[in-house]
Amino acid sequence: MSTIQISNLRKNYGSLAAVAGLSLQIPDGCVFGLLGPNGSGKTTTFKCMLDLARRSSGEVLYDGHALAPETFQNVAYVPERSVLYEWMTVAQHVEMNRRAFAKFDAARAMELLQQFNIDPRKRARALSKGMRTAVMVALAFARNAGVLILDEPTSGLDPVNQRHVLSLIINEAARGNTVVFSSHQIGQVERAAERIAVLDRGRLVLDGAVDDLKADRKIVEGIFPGVDFTLDGIAGDPRIARVDRTERIVRLLVLSGADEIAARLASAGAGGVRVLDLNLEDIFLYAVSPSDATADVVAQGSSS
Amino acid sequence: MPAVLTVDPRSGVPIYLQIIDQVKRSVALGVLQAGEQLPTVKQLALDLTINPNTVARAYRDLERDSVIETAPGRGSFVRADGTAANANAAAVDIARDALESGLREAKSVGLAREDVRRLLETALDRWFPEER
Repeated sequence: MSTIQISNLRKNYGSLAAVAGLSLQIPDGCVFGLLGPNGSGKTTTFKCMLDLARRSSGEVLYDGHALAPETFQNVAYVPERSVLYEWMTVAQHVEMNRRAFAKFDAARAMELLQQFNIDPRKRARALSKGMRTAVMVALAFARNAGVLILDEPTSGLDPVNQRHVLSLIINEAARGNTVVFSSHQIGQVERAAERIAVLDRGRLVLDGAVDDLKADRKIVEGIFPGVDFTLDGIAGDPRIARVDRTERIVRLLVLSGADEIAARLASAGAGGVRVLDLNLEDIFLYAVSPSDATADVVAQGSSS
Repeated sequence: MPAVLTVDPRSGVPIYLQIIDQVKRSVALGVLQAGEQLPTVKQLALDLTINPNTVARAYRDLERDSVIETAPGRGSFVRADGTAANANAAAVDIARDALESGLREAKSVGLAREDVRRLLETALDRWFPEER
């Protein structure tokens, strides 16, 4: 029920700009994956979206409205570090949430806790890191919220429980709810997210639909017979984001039109012209470390 | 049906294209028959642990290509009319893609048209000996 519009968001900590002018639109009913290296501003962005950190400038609107107390009834949040009262039992946390949130489904919370194998009689201080994450996830998904903001919702979880969290996200999406989540496990984002944004040093470096990015972004590779060849008229194409050239081998990162650019490389005299697919990890690495991602990508890339 | 359909989310091929390709292939091979019901968008998304909108996008394209039809409230079905034609078109699609990619490779490694023709003749003799 909510389109989230982030405009020119900026958050400074002293002289450091943790988020440096971020604009993003998260469509209603979308599962949106936020990717970025450590310190790229993901957690700060989430906090600013929830007014848990004061924005230095910019705005965040939910369906055109600024975050108000009543908006919180509809927005559930799993913070990067779990927030639990150490002396309280898990069951008491469920009860606390039931009192705080009108649509909270306590029976659903207990069911989710059971699926994660968590004994609700345990005190928070007795929980492992993964169990704490699972408790936060169970509480958030029992909220019946239209928007879920999940900061690393699988951290510390074993693979079975990680997959369970993905299924919960997919279930929310099927109900038309909006989910924004971050994960260092790109494979999870690749499965669950329809759209992604990549942050690097507080700036947006890439955003789009995962399937569209995969369909458009390719590596075009060709081998020239001699070392003295020219890429005149090819390298300047705006669809080519990057040119890597060793003695006789040329590798182009293209943003679209791969087949046409491959044909032009062939007519320029290159042999063995190939178009290589990029998975989300490759696309991510190119976006955040444009200078040294190539070697890996070419080693893994499949021919198409 | 879910058992037949698998996707590799880590591949560079968009997931919705993988679904389209597999449904077409299943129709071509008769694994999916006329009138057969496909899983709902939600069910397939949960079975494959992928985004439901991605599944919905694949279904929309399959509908546009007349491979399936969706009855509101009842679900998606392999189209009864013209399944044979669909199956044939799907088979041709699959074969064309494979041939195209092989020929592109042959050209890129520098073979001439005549070399490729000879290779094709030999391959045809091996795979279709009865139709010589």
